[in-house]
Amino acid sequence: MNREEAPGKSPEEMYIQQKVRVLLMLKKMGSNLTPNEEAFLRNYAGVVHSQMSQLPQHPIDQGAEDVVMAFSRSETEDRRQ
Amino acid sequence: MSLQMSEAEGAVKVEEWQQTFYASDSGIQSGATTIRDEEESEFCKKYSGSASAVESDTDVETQYSLTRAQRVRAAMFPETLVEGEAVLTTQNNPDQPTNVQRLAEPSQLLKTAIVHLINYQDDAELATRAVPELTKLLADDDQVVVNKAALIVNQLTRKEASRRVLMQSPQMVSAVVRAMQNTGDLETARCAASVLHSLSHQREGLLAIFKSGGIPALVRMLSSPMESVLFYAITTLHNLLLHQEGAKMAVRLADGLQRMVPLLKKSNPKFLAITTDCLQLLSYGNQESKLIILANGGPDSLVFIMRNHNYEKLLWTTSRVLKVLSVCPSNKPAIVDSGGMQALGQHLTGSSQRLTQNCLWTLRNLSDAATKQEGLDGLLHILVSQLGSDDVNMLTCATGILSNLTCNNARNKALVTQSGGVESLIHAVLRAGEKEDVAEPAVCALRHLTSRHPDAELAQNAVRLHYGIPAITKLLGQPHYWPVVKATVGLIRNLALCPANQAPLRESGTIPRLVNLLLKAHQETQRHGSGAQQTYQDGVRMEEIVEGCTGALHILARDPINRGEIASMQTIPLFVQLLYSYVENIKRVSAGVLCELALDKQSAEMIDAEGASAPLMELLHSPNEGIATYAAAVLFRISEDKSSDYRKRVSVELTHSLFKHDPAAWEMAHAAMPLDPGYIPDDLDAVYPPYGYSDIPMDGLPLDAELHEQYMPEMTYDPRQVYPNPL
Repeated sequence: MNREEAPGKSPEEMYIQQKVRVLLMLKKMGSNLTPNEEAFLRNYAGVVHSQMSQLPQHPIDQGAEDVVMAFSRSETEDRRQ
Repeated sequence: MSLQMSEAEGAVKVEEWQQTFYASDSGIQSGATTIRDEEESEFCKKYSGSASAVESDTDVETQYSLTRAQRVRAAMFPETLVEGEAVLTTQNNPDQPTNVQRLAEPSQLLKTAIVHLINYQDDAELATRAVPELTKLLADDDQVVVNKAALIVNQLTRKEASRRVLMQSPQMVSAVVRAMQNTGDLETARCAASVLHSLSHQREGLLAIFKSGGIPALVRMLSSPMESVLFYAITTLHNLLLHQEGAKMAVRLADGLQRMVPLLKKSNPKFLAITTDCLQLLSYGNQESKLIILANGGPDSLVFIMRNHNYEKLLWTTSRVLKVLSVCPSNKPAIVDSGGMQALGQHLTGSSQRLTQNCLWTLRNLSDAATKQEGLDGLLHILVSQLGSDDVNMLTCATGILSNLTCNNARNKALVTQSGGVESLIHAVLRAGEKEDVAEPAVCALRHLTSRHPDAELAQNAVRLHYGIPAITKLLGQPHYWPVVKATVGLIRNLALCPANQAPLRESGTIPRLVNLLLKAHQETQRHGSGAQQTYQDGVRMEEIVEGCTGALHILARDPINRGEIASMQTIPLFVQLLYSYVENIKRVSAGVLCELALDKQSAEMIDAEGASAPLMELLHSPNEGIATYAAAVLFRISEDKSSDYRKRVSVELTHSLFKHDPAAWEMAHAAMPLDPGYIPDDLDAVYPPYGYSDIPMDGLPLDAELHEQYMPEMTYDPRQVYPNPL
């Protein structure tokens, strides 16, 4: 959630801004939107435009990270040949 | 032993022999123990008719009178025959040897043994008489004397009997050791080292060297400028390390490792093979030794050998040292940084099975420290091809190394994907069966390939195209080996990211299996309480299974049919309950799956009926943007049909969370917005001015002109829409 907006915007404007942001974030994370939500974004295309650049650049929800497997726990000796 | 004695010598020898311990008459000369003469005469008479060339009747008669014993003697000891005496052969048929002739070779062997024994006793007696004197001379002040004594002792070690005598004298062995380490003369040192080397081939000799303090002295010789001294010293030490108890400790105490590691810079392959074998014997199971090798630059030199030699035995012994070092957390990065992965990768396709296998085990051990290494393209290609092997050791290593090298490495992921790695890994999974050491890393590798790199989608499609989905789904079945289950669930989540995989995943029965696993794992976590107590099975926490299954269902729920199936399995109450989890990731995935399910109105109502609003309101305040986003989205969706009060509460919470870190703005918004319960009109059909409300003072509140324009004419009035803020 963007909590750094300059004071001076009305609460309703903030609300629209934040809802746009939530919906854009959902899309960024690969989620689906309802038809109403898609319409909302179309209605506030200007806010969408300004919010797009403020979305975090890093991926938000990519699932579990890759993890290495530690194989070198014990020493095994082969038969001397 | 030389048998080149003249006849006279032989006769003398035998005579002398007869006067010794072996004086009993064997009948060699006298024929005393042979067959009776009558029989011999009969025998002779019988076959005399066809006897070969006879000079005269007298000769023939003389011949016939010789006993068999004499013929045997003549066959065994021709050198003892009196001059002029010849033996008439009784051989009738040239193709059929006589009994005596048949006896000839075995009797020659017997003769050789007898002669050996004679000389052995001689040598032993000589050495016994000489040892005390030589011992004194080795300690002489005159270096020339010492040198000569050392030479003689060295000669004595050439014969077994005298060698035995030497090693049975502790004083002699000590004297040799002292001479070796105290002398300034290289030749003396060489002789002494050679003596010890000769003695080190028998256990008795090894023990004598060990007890005489030979090990520290030999270790000192490892600094000698003379190659032959080095060779004798390292070989003797090698024999001690192999066969003498206590030798390893003694070599370590004498700083043997510190002297041996620099020797790895020599170029003689056979010398290096012995040296590396010594290092392996010393460092196996001994952490301190491994650290000493590291501190002396061991990894660098060992990798150099792997890169630049092709003598198989040397490569094998070196790979064994690297294998031993590869389990040491300090050596591992050093070996990797020296180019160990690339160097070991050079030896995976040769004809030496033992070398290939050792390199693979070592690579596997090192692989978790090599995820950022460059230049591994060749190795990755070879490993992908080894996935086709039927050798379980090779499969275990190849899958393990690939799993780690594709971890968080986009370049490696892309390369393996483009090299047909997906197909090969699927085949490995199929062949692994219940061998977890193959299945787990293979599935992990597939999981890595199917996310977080530009070709992830290619990999996701490739799994489906190579008929991997049924095989992978099967891994969720009983019996559960949890590490494999965990990896598989993660892979399924990634596969579901590809829309074309959604239906095949559903058709292979993935959803019910995931739901059942989720329920089972969740029950386990509940049984053992919450909070700090965590439940492990096969080393996997059940919370990880809960997170993984829910995460996979979240992505599967993007498909509308899957979504319906998931909801129909009565999962919504559980997902709502999971919103309360203390594990942040579980909160995220459960909010995520509810967000998708809430797209369907019926599911949205169920979510609401389960009391999801309360925990979701809390989650709005989460510092995790993903969690807050999902929570907000679910609240939007379940509040569409709600009363205005509810929507107001939601909007207040949203606003509250928005201004959480900006109190001034919150104050300002508060002032502008009286919290009047009537500010959102109850009558949903009324049309409201697009901006501002009657009780809000308009001046001082700059409006975004663009916003104003958008708002006015195009806005479609929707009574269910949460209103823009109040106020």
